[in-house]
Amino acid sequence: MNLFQTVYNGSNVALNAAEGLLKQAIKEKGKDHNVAFPDTAYSLPIIYAATGLKMATLADLEGAIGVVKSLIVEEPRLEPALNAGLATAVSAEIIEAIKYALNDAPYEAPCVGHISDATIRALGVPLVTGDIPGVAVVLGKCPDSETAGKVIKDYQSKGLLTFLVGEVIDQAIEANVKMGLELRVIPLGYDVTSVIHVVSVAIRASLIFGGVEPGNLEEHLAYTKKRVPAFVNAFGPLSELVVSAGAGAIALGFPVITDQIVTEVPTLLLTQKDFDKIPATSLEARNIKIKVTEIDIPVGFAAAFEGERVRKDN
Amino acid sequence: MSEEKMVSLNTIDDQLIKKAADEGIETMWDRKKAMKAPCGFGEKGVCCRICGMGPCRVSPVAGKGAQKGICGATADTIVARNFARMVAAGTASHSDHARDIAHVLHMASRDGNYQVQDEKKLIALAQEWEVPTEGRDIYDVAHEVAEIALNEFGKPFGTLRFPDRAPAPRRKIWEELNIMPRAIDREIATIMHSTHMGCTSDAESLLRLSMRTSLANGWGGSMLGTELSDIVFGTSTPRMTEANLGVLEEKQVNILLHGHDPCLSEMIVAAAQDPEMIKLTEEVGAEGINLAGMCCTGNEVTMRHGVKIAGTFYQQELAVLTGAIEAVIVDVQCIFPSLAPITDCYHTKFITTSPKAKITGATHIEFNEEKALESAKVIVREAIENYKNRKQDKVFIPQSKAQAITGYSNEAVIKQLDRVVNSNIDPQGTVKPLADVIKAGVLRGAAGIVGCNNIKTKHEYSHIEIMKKLIANDVIVVTTGCAAQAAAKAGLLSKDAIKLAGKGLQAVCELVDIPPVIHLGSCVDNTRIIRLVSAVSEHLGVDNSDLPVVGVAPEWMSEKAVAIGTYVVSSGIDVFLGITPPVTGSPEFVDLLTNKIEDMTGAKFFIDENPLTLADKILERIEEKRTKLEARLAKEIDYGVIKPEEEVEETKELA
Ligand code: SF4
Ligand code: SF4
Repeated sequence: MNLFQTVYNGSNVALNAAEGLLKQAIKEKGKDHNVAFPDTAYSLPIIYAATGLKMATLADLEGAIGVVKSLIVEEPRLEPALNAGLATAVSAEIIEAIKYALNDAPYEAPCVGHISDATIRALGVPLVTGDIPGVAVVLGKCPDSETAGKVIKDYQSKGLLTFLVGEVIDQAIEANVKMGLELRVIPLGYDVTSVIHVVSVAIRASLIFGGVEPGNLEEHLAYTKKRVPAFVNAFGPLSELVVSAGAGAIALGFPVITDQIVTEVPTLLLTQKDFDKIPATSLEARNIKIKVTEIDIPVGFAAAFEGERVRKDN
Repeated sequence: MSEEKMVSLNTIDDQLIKKAADEGIETMWDRKKAMKAPCGFGEKGVCCRICGMGPCRVSPVAGKGAQKGICGATADTIVARNFARMVAAGTASHSDHARDIAHVLHMASRDGNYQVQDEKKLIALAQEWEVPTEGRDIYDVAHEVAEIALNEFGKPFGTLRFPDRAPAPRRKIWEELNIMPRAIDREIATIMHSTHMGCTSDAESLLRLSMRTSLANGWGGSMLGTELSDIVFGTSTPRMTEANLGVLEEKQVNILLHGHDPCLSEMIVAAAQDPEMIKLTEEVGAEGINLAGMCCTGNEVTMRHGVKIAGTFYQQELAVLTGAIEAVIVDVQCIFPSLAPITDCYHTKFITTSPKAKITGATHIEFNEEKALESAKVIVREAIENYKNRKQDKVFIPQSKAQAITGYSNEAVIKQLDRVVNSNIDPQGTVKPLADVIKAGVLRGAAGIVGCNNIKTKHEYSHIEIMKKLIANDVIVVTTGCAAQAAAKAGLLSKDAIKLAGKGLQAVCELVDIPPVIHLGSCVDNTRIIRLVSAVSEHLGVDNSDLPVVGVAPEWMSEKAVAIGTYVVSSGIDVFLGITPPVTGSPEFVDLLTNKIEDMTGAKFFIDENPLTLADKILERIEEKRTKLEARLAKEIDYGVIKPEEEVEETKELA
């Protein structure tokens, strides 16, 4: 299967899932049922940034499905493939929004799901100063917990903000990775679609700090590419859906580094099978330079530990 | 007038053509008019004059009129013979050019005019040819390498060395077809022999002979030309230049360098910087010496020194018509003899330098390679001293020029590619990034757009239209020869042109920091293209014919172009011609070129004089090759992707 077709297939998987879930939700709750993420002034941020439209009800989401469809044009070219990646992001946001519409607390510890505006504002300054030198999105499943722990702790020790999606969350817990916003490791959720909550962070950065107009998608993409130093690590077997979501990341300017054999695209989609080299490969791909020299002490030492309270049993 | 408006994309050309008319000077457009309709027999390739019983002309229509020549040769034989001789002439031109460079390498010395500029490349070639290098004087190595190169022209046994550089499956095809080239001159002589009256009378055999001879060019003479030029004159690196007749300077001594051989032009470049010459320039009251290149010698010096590009093949007469050129210095190939009468109308000196290309009416100052710099200075002095004879009232320099980046040797291309290599994954210095973007489909394919100008078509229209269409469709373009100069004039060799590219090519250009159309050099430098393609093939473990790569000669005219097209197809790369070659008198031979040859080489010729439909055919063929390649490579790539059943599971889970 060629790369672009894989992306399109994945985008259609996401679209079908979003459509199916929306139908079901409307059947259960009716079209006028409210949709919203908690603690945000930007409605469904990705849809808002892309179209300038705020989503209030399930009926509005039917319109958003139309946006997804218009973004999937199956031509063998990079541009439509990246658009299809964005379509997957929108589908994922629809799915996640429905989760929140159907359930008051769709996420429970350790997962955090949607991230509030207040948190994003708090992250703004360290991101601008380079105190947080980058944002790692670690998704999928590592060969074992130890490897997962090593990679995540490496990012943590360098002061990166790391978001976890999928089984890697359990692996991180097993590897004794300390988590929490202050520790800069944030488990989002187990479904692939929960990755949208980090995309939402990047997009809201563009809306809040970049002052980019809602609806000006191109400008938002330019902002995230230039200003949000994020990258994705996709581990374990990749479904077409994940490949498609990866195209969305690339559209935002975030390289995808995976341990799987894929059709590589220089600087954007890379295979690194050696987990010891994953962090270095990722940082180089996103052109992230670490300001402070690492200090060689047995426990990870970085700003990420500033918020850690030393408990008695440690 | 309306007819004249049609000639080119450049209004400045029209202005100069009008100037010619006003001053009563004859140009190629006048001679084209005088020619009236071309002879249909020659146009279709069915005229033969290779023996004293002829000329014979046979009917291009089967069953009507004379079907055979006096000797019984059919249209198929006559067409194929004529074609083969075009290939032989083209191969002879490129190869004789290369031979001169080999001689110059052989005379290179540490304190001489010719030196080894790229030692690394010399050592690499020496090692390839198993010449000992350890602890030896670099000039001893150079002389031995030069001698081996010279032997490639006439060695009695074996086959050429450079075909070893082709991918293994390609070499196998050549061996099976029995077209592995032997010695370069030998292949040319064999064609002349086999096309003699009463020799080969079988179209397919003649095509195979043509293929073998053309390979002696592409993987022989031309490749030597490029390789040895890089060694003696330096391997080029990216640099800025300007193009079009607007590069001529009102207050400087303008020297037009026209022809092909860098052995001369390199020395002219050196002479023009000589203090003695600069002093003389001041004495005659000029502000400097302005070198401007034309055709392939122009490409050679622009690649290595950034010398400005005055224009393409068809502008050679127009350049003189500006009245601002002190000397047209030429060596060999593609030089209009009409430059003699035209320069006579101005103060311009028309200086021939090669005993291989004397022209009646020109001033012949023979270039002596043994005393190269001295010799070049004599020639440049002629030009400078002529400055005072310039007739100001006849001067008209059109104010039009464009910025261009040139100088992309394969080494330079690979260096650019290194920018996108992740040091934690891959080593530097390979074509992997290029192979990757082609494999992924970010670039749909690559096209080499090459060749001349031809009065049969609107100048440069085809070059530019096809280039634009291809880059807009994410096909990267590399270019050489006059096509490259057309691109330079149209601004396609600048990074500004990135905005004309499709999103995929745009992304690649931005990451790699290159323009969407890349100038690889002169006509012999087409060998850079086949090497680049071969490197990608080898990287992917396929043959050249498996890649979505094409060659295009939109406005070809010379026999060299015929030889190039033939070696490109023989190397497994489809060739798209924008001018119909003189073969249509034999449907059988047309079928061979545009159809059957594919069974032999995996590639074929496409002919279409409409550049827009030609571009469509190129894109179609690229996609056709992609589909096959992707299917083939798919086995290696599965994204660790989940099987369909699992996918269903996942969808359910999502819902
Ligand atoms: S070779 Fe045959 S066809 Fe050609 S001129 Fe002689 S007789 Fe005529
Ligand atoms: S491209 Fe054609 S016209 Fe131009 S220099 Fe080469 S052979 Fe001559």
